[in-house]
Amino acid sequence: MSSLGYFTEQYIMLSGALFTLGCVGFLVRRNMLVQLMSIELMLNAVNLTLVAYNRQHTHDLNGQVFAFFVIAVAAAEVAVGLAIVLAFYRLKSSVQSDEADQLRH
Amino acid sequence: MQAILALFPANDYTLLAFIVLLPLLGAAVNGVFGKRLGKEAVSLLALSAIATSFVIAVVTFFTLHHVQEGEEAARFYWKGWEWFHLTTQNGGQVALNVGFTVDALNGTMALIVTGVGFLIHLYSVSYMAEDPGFHRFLTYLNLFIFSMLVLILGDSLPVLFVGWEGVGLCSYLLIGFWFEDDKNAAAGKKAFVTNRIGDFGLLVAMGLLLYYTGGLDWTTIEGGAKNLLTPVQVWPLGTHVPAASLFGGNIEHWINMPRYVSAATLVGLALFLGCAGKSAQLPLYVWLPDAMAGPTPVSALIHAATMVTAGVYLLCRLSFVMVLSPAAMCVVAFTGALTALFAASIAFAQNDIKKVLAYSTVSQLGYMFLGVGVGAFTAGFFHVITHAFFKACMFLGAGSVIHAMHARIHDTDASQDMRNMGGLRKYMPITFWTFAASWAAIVGLPGTSGFFSKDEILFKAFTSTIKSPIATDKMTDGVNSMDVFAWPSWAGTALYAIGIITALMTAFYMTRLFIGIFFGEFKGWKIDKNFKEPEHAHGHDDHDHAHGHHHDPNVPLEGPPPHESPWQMWLPLAILGALAAFSGFFNANAGPIHITPLDTWLEPLFTKAGAAVGSIKDAESFEYPLLGLAFLAFAGGSGIAYFIYVVQKGKPAQSFAEAMPGLHALVFDKWRIDEIYEEYVIGAVDSLAEFFAWADKWIVDMLLARVTTFFVSTAGTALRFIQTGRVQTYAAVMVLGLGGVGWFFVTPRVDAKLQSDDDAGVYSLTAAEGLGYSYRWDVNNDNVWDGDQKFGTQTQQQLKLSVRENRTVRLEVKNAFGRTAVKSFNLNRPAPDRSGATSRLDAPPAARGQIRQLPPEIRQLVKPEEKQ
Repeated sequence: MSSLGYFTEQYIMLSGALFTLGCVGFLVRRNMLVQLMSIELMLNAVNLTLVAYNRQHTHDLNGQVFAFFVIAVAAAEVAVGLAIVLAFYRLKSSVQSDEADQLRH
Repeated sequence: MQAILALFPANDYTLLAFIVLLPLLGAAVNGVFGKRLGKEAVSLLALSAIATSFVIAVVTFFTLHHVQEGEEAARFYWKGWEWFHLTTQNGGQVALNVGFTVDALNGTMALIVTGVGFLIHLYSVSYMAEDPGFHRFLTYLNLFIFSMLVLILGDSLPVLFVGWEGVGLCSYLLIGFWFEDDKNAAAGKKAFVTNRIGDFGLLVAMGLLLYYTGGLDWTTIEGGAKNLLTPVQVWPLGTHVPAASLFGGNIEHWINMPRYVSAATLVGLALFLGCAGKSAQLPLYVWLPDAMAGPTPVSALIHAATMVTAGVYLLCRLSFVMVLSPAAMCVVAFTGALTALFAASIAFAQNDIKKVLAYSTVSQLGYMFLGVGVGAFTAGFFHVITHAFFKACMFLGAGSVIHAMHARIHDTDASQDMRNMGGLRKYMPITFWTFAASWAAIVGLPGTSGFFSKDEILFKAFTSTIKSPIATDKMTDGVNSMDVFAWPSWAGTALYAIGIITALMTAFYMTRLFIGIFFGEFKGWKIDKNFKEPEHAHGHDDHDHAHGHHHDPNVPLEGPPPHESPWQMWLPLAILGALAAFSGFFNANAGPIHITPLDTWLEPLFTKAGAAVGSIKDAESFEYPLLGLAFLAFAGGSGIAYFIYVVQKGKPAQSFAEAMPGLHALVFDKWRIDEIYEEYVIGAVDSLAEFFAWADKWIVDMLLARVTTFFVSTAGTALRFIQTGRVQTYAAVMVLGLGGVGWFFVTPRVDAKLQSDDDAGVYSLTAAEGLGYSYRWDVNNDNVWDGDQKFGTQTQQQLKLSVRENRTVRLEVKNAFGRTAVKSFNLNRPAPDRSGATSRLDAPPAARGQIRQLPPEIRQLVKPEEKQ
């Protein structure tokens, strides 16, 4: 029992649920914007895990620092990802990831 | 002399670099800027480069002459830089320097190369004046002189080889100078390829000399030459001939019998192969007649006076190696003699004046090799000198004639055909007299240069033999031994007979040529004294036939009289003619005349080789009879020719040709040697090429390339279906992979390593560790986990078994997720090893323990466990 009154397991379970949501969302949706959001969801699930586990290690803050890194990298990734989506939209007038099949041919 | 020696000491004689490099400088400047410089500047540069080189060579020659006294050979040396070094088989280092050396032999040769070279340059300036490739021509000539000087002045075989290849390259470039005509380009290629065969021999000789003498510069080779007197097994190549057992019995024994050749013979023959290529000896002579496709000054300079004598020079240079092998010398002498005879026979029936001269050159080169082969190095080299004079003069004279003829007949072949000539004596007096002088020399008119040099060779051929270099008749290196080759007693007589017959033939065909060109009626166009020259300028050896008016040679047309050539052309002729007539007195040694400065001059160089040359009994007594025979050969040959072609106006020759059309055609077609080579040698190479082309098409391209690509493309086609191009698919596969990795981490893995000591019955199990693992054991095999069924941290178990006891030990592992895995281990202590049991059991226990001690690394592993 932590000071907030929750077990670490519960955080982990929440995190797992979030990650699964993101994963499934990424796999089943075709809208690239939604896919990007799904990726964000997975990243934040991981962040939650890192922070939750870090509470077990009271002598250091590695997990929390790492979570900040993930947030920073995720911000950069969103910038790049949105730019790609925008460029793709200009090319195909669509944000459906199915249509991005030019490399295949 | 003293001043020069003070400036340039003998061991750092920098002037040598100037001799060699000035022509290169000329070639470089003319080659790069020639087109812009204009003809005057190009000729001035080319001529002055060679002239300066010649002057320095003269200065060097006289300095050398000043220094050389008595038996000691004077030698000047200049080292440029270290080129590279080789590591020999015993780890020693052999440094190869770019160095040049000059002594009596190549000092004289350098005079010929630069002197005759200069005259021919001068001649070329006029002869080639109208040619669009004028600057290119002089560039090549300068480059040739440079390469030739590298060849003769080089201090070691590799440096010589650079020059050797350099002259070959220049020869190729100049034969194919008018490369627009396929025939000329093909002739150049033929010369190059034929020479490559010879070069192979030279390379082999270099390798052998390096191996046996430990070096490649002249001094080292001379020092180590004694090592060449060792038998070398040349047959069978392996231990035995693979197919020999098919015959069985005596034949097999005979085939497999080891055969030995002395290293000296191998070296000698390999060297001679190189020389035969460069100097156009049988069977590699075929390129030289074709080389006449080049401009006439090239034929004079390269294919008569200098390059083709490089082989003779090399054999003279390495005379101390050659004489170690009587067998190789015998091959040299007989090849030379047969080449002389063979080429002379072809020259009989040729009508192209350059072809006649070409075959005569091959024949005279044969004489030189005959001289060298019988150990008469001075005589052979003397013939190089005289031949350079008279044959260069003849070629230049022929060029002058062609020049005059070409002004009337604008066709290269027709203007070289002696059937179109005749009576030119009246119109070209200087050419006639100089040609007469060199004709007299080559046919051996007593007193001329050719008479003395040829007579000396023939006399030596009759009287000399090469003695075996070792006293016994067995050559041995302690393991192998072989019989020493001895010259047959008939060799001298046979060589002399071939030589004297050749001399007779030479006198005949040269007189035929001489008469055909200069005597009788002019058989070209009718001469009209009032003929007005059309607008065109004279082109010589004209290759592009740009004149636009070809004449049918059968229709008599009128034209101007043939004219004498300008001074740039007749001056070299005059100088060379004078030398051809009188240079015999450099080494006149016939009958009562004994004026032999050349012999004295070269003697120190050939002392070592001379020791190996023996002589028949009463050699002196043969001098006058042989002299008489030589005179008879001259008189007979030229007399018969005079009778046939002047008195009978060529009728006997015609009737002979009609009586034996087959023989005449055969000789006219040069014994069809080229056709034989074409059919067999080139044919064989062609079939080989066809085979390889087939292999390339069906094995490399089809089997290797196509089949491989087929597999790759099929695999690609199959795998393409996996690549859907949808991001979701890839992501799904990634998720699957991630799941797999997760599964891998969640599953516990159980294993243990067993260390056994059968003698002591001690067994130890060490469980493989993992993160978050805990263990429980069942050591006593009672199906109950030890330690109250609880998982613990114990990773090792040690147990003792009695003899022949079986035990199953179980291990269960639990990981952090609470998942478990079980594994059983069967331990079995075997019965003691009974082999050799008595002694072991009798031995005290301590000794027994020693016998079956564990390997040290295992004991070390066991010890810490015991402490626990």
